[in-house]
Amino acid sequence: MSTECQKTTAKAIPSTRRVTINDAAHMPHDYSTTPGGTLFSTTPGGTRIIYDRKFLLGCRSSPVAKTLPQGLPNIPGVTTPLSKDTDEKANNGELLNNNTTAPDSSNTGDDSQFEMDI
Amino acid sequence: MNNKFDALKDDDSGDHDQDQGSPKDSEKEKTEDEEQNSSRKKMSVPGAGEHPLQYNYTFWYSRRTPGRPASTQSYEQNIKQIGSFASVEQFWRFYSHMIRPGDLTGHSDFHLFKEGIKPMWEDDANKMGGKWIIRLRKGLASRCWENLILAMLGEQFMVGEEICGAVVSVRFQEDIISIWNKTASDQATTARIRDTLRRVLNLPPNTIMEYKTHTDSIKAWVDFHGLVNPSGGC
Repeated sequence: MSTECQKTTAKAIPSTRRVTINDAAHMPHDYSTTPGGTLFSTTPGGTRIIYDRKFLLGCRSSPVAKTLPQGLPNIPGVTTPLSKDTDEKANNGELLNNNTTAPDSSNTGDDSQFEMDI
Repeated sequence: MNNKFDALKDDDSGDHDQDQGSPKDSEKEKTEDEEQNSSRKKMSVPGAGEHPLQYNYTFWYSRRTPGRPASTQSYEQNIKQIGSFASVEQFWRFYSHMIRPGDLTGHSDFHLFKEGIKPMWEDDANKMGGKWIIRLRKGLASRCWENLILAMLGEQFMVGEEICGAVVSVRFQEDIISIWNKTASDQATTARIRDTLRRVLNLPPNTIMEYKTHTDSIKAWVDFHGLVNPSGGC
């Protein structure tokens, strides 16, 4: 392990950080995880804010995550739909990429991983 | 003088991400940098109650204009910044308002790089680096891309500061995802990235994963095209 250590820059130990929980989906899924991401103090590279996939997917349902970001460039076919009738939707801030999964649906977990056949 | 790198867009290996680099371009880049710096002085910050990420990231989009040969288009003309974010929630705001890579048309790419790193070889963070490349048959890109970037944002790779960004490239017959790191010569890091990719993408054991250093990518291009003077981008 020690041979793999990389140069890291020293950072102060973060002081208390408050994490507001507005939604059950933001609670960690196991007891070794803290709300707001687990801080590991001993990983290579120093302190990191780590989130697993399931937690990140859970945050997708928060109200902030659904609002239109400020300054989103208008790129037809990318940030706005190409066809006319759906244009209005996009202008009203509707989601183009809402294919996945409410946080409570069971397929956000690891077993939703599909088998890949390449 | 559109340069050698443009042709890399053709080789389908995700190399399209880093061309340009003639002396002329670097001047142009300077002015652009200034603009970007001034507009970006205010770095993204997590909002109240949001979940901060280890790093800020920027989404980029690039597309080759159809009907024009690659050699007449500079990379910078074709790449657009979509936006930067600092928290999990801000990430979803952008991601949810962008179409999925599998639904993109034409020869296009999404790039997600740490804020301040351009998705180009020439960036200081990339010039000694390389990337893991995975070719995907059609239909898999959206899901793989999502898993890849969630792993990156969530710091699943455990390689310190090494990760630079990720790219998904939509091509005619296949799609390619790649993840870039800073130090191509650091084998412990590249091995760890490979193993993490296998885990987070749930790839079958026989999936071919290829590591390419950026300098090799440039060299390969130069050899193929017989350019005498390879300097510029590397």
